[in-house]
Amino acid sequence: MSELLVVEGLTVTFPTTRGLVDVVKEVSFTVGRDETVGIVGESGSGKSMTSLAILGLLPRGAVTRGSIRLDGVELLGRTDREMRRVRGEQVSMIFQDPLSSLNPYYTVGLQIEEMYRAHRGGSRKAARKIVTEALTQVGIPEPERRASYYPHQFSGGQRQRIMIAMALVCSPALLIADEPTTALDVTVQAQILRLLAGLQRETGTGMVFVTHDLAVISTIAARVLVMRRGEQVEYGTAEQIFAEPRHEYTRMLLESIPRIDDEVAS
Amino acid sequence: MSEPLLRARDLTKRFTVRGPFGRKAEFTAVDTVSFDLRLGETLAVVGESGSGKSTTARMVAKLMEPTGGTLEFEGRDVTRAKGAELAGFRNDVQVVFQDPFSSLNPRHTVERILLAPLIYQGIQPKGGKRALARELMERVGLDPDHSQRYPAQFSGGQAQRIGIARALAVDPKLVICDEAVSALDVSVRAQVIELLRRLQRESGFSYIFIAHDLAVVRQIAHRVAVMSEGRVVEQGPCEQIFTDPADPYTRTLLAAIPRIDPEWDRRRRAAG
Repeated sequence: MSELLVVEGLTVTFPTTRGLVDVVKEVSFTVGRDETVGIVGESGSGKSMTSLAILGLLPRGAVTRGSIRLDGVELLGRTDREMRRVRGEQVSMIFQDPLSSLNPYYTVGLQIEEMYRAHRGGSRKAARKIVTEALTQVGIPEPERRASYYPHQFSGGQRQRIMIAMALVCSPALLIADEPTTALDVTVQAQILRLLAGLQRETGTGMVFVTHDLAVISTIAARVLVMRRGEQVEYGTAEQIFAEPRHEYTRMLLESIPRIDDEVAS
Repeated sequence: MSEPLLRARDLTKRFTVRGPFGRKAEFTAVDTVSFDLRLGETLAVVGESGSGKSTTARMVAKLMEPTGGTLEFEGRDVTRAKGAELAGFRNDVQVVFQDPFSSLNPRHTVERILLAPLIYQGIQPKGGKRALARELMERVGLDPDHSQRYPAQFSGGQAQRIGIARALAVDPKLVICDEAVSALDVSVRAQVIELLRRLQRESGFSYIFIAHDLAVVRQIAHRVAVMSEGRVVEQGPCEQIFTDPADPYTRTLLAAIPRIDPEWDRRRRAAG
């Protein structure tokens, strides 16, 4: 079976006042269809830059080398215009803060509708039906009525559900989730993680899940890439990374996690 | 039983909010919260956003007036303390905030930041100011030769150490940590938690530790109060809350924490 996403030797370089800085160095990994790959690292590890590179959303001035192939087609070196088509249709994203990704002046229904029609076209009436379905799918109650609400009328967890609805409305092959549960309360985080895992099973979307939280990644990812200072420290199955970490840094990270069940176990 | 350092009884905070058409409504952020804290003890107040944990901390730090209830410190009622009495309280109770950079003046050197509480309190340190600044930096694991640097020249973990050192400058009896380690990377967070524990062992003060992360709380607390919708739903010794929670909300909260497969953990530890 062919892989959905193949990243090979990805290097991202920024010009700074102190010369060129590699924020991502020679990173390689693959994402299978309906597989979740986790990228985990501390701040400054390059995990978000890696996901932005896949989306073609790196800040101006960044130079990328290597290869990013989606369904066998190279994404690096495409024009902004071409990448706009790729985003939304083939690759979608959700970020940490849904409030800053949603437009406060428009109803959420209109925003999802626009997203759909920009890529798939069709009548507003048809799109509205799709919006209702999408909101139902992510567990928003009374979706027809709620579609006419504005972002501020929803709680943080519901806003993230709406972002997920928007990301999946065009049935992308790949979803990039960058710290999607970091700003959420722990009980809401558990709900969103369950929702993402469930939707993935239903729709067969491949997912790149970026986070600083090792425990979260262990519950959702099949394969894990550990990054530090732009470098790929370790890459393997979740079981190998968590049960048999090979690298000293991974071991140190795992040791640093405060234990919740320790005394219970012993 | 010795007298507790701090005694909160029925602390309540109501806010007036304006609803549609200017209608006034009352919102109770903290609802009759009571607890005792002994010297040298750490009380963790945990809850999700909107639970009232930070409002409780602000009332205890006297950064906010309670609507009702009383606060006693060393047996004295300080609920409405003003003037010299309030200044004395401020000397004994210090706060460490979540975001170290927004709570450190970017235009002041570390030395000036560390000595600011002394200046406000009108205290002349024995042995001189510079010596005290250097000593404080050493206690929190910072290089004392960096005392003339500015906050921006430090990493997030180092900046939080500066915030902690500042709290220690006046030799407090109670340090309130409001999500003090939440913004830090996991490896740095482990170090700062270790620092907080060591400082308490050395100096014997109390902590009120406000946090949403229960795993962190388990590392540091002696007692835990779980808050939800402004109320304390359960409080007790740390071990009891984690191993035998009585309240259904506490159980929900504990169950929601993401965990690494215990089998994987066992194998890693066995190998390590």
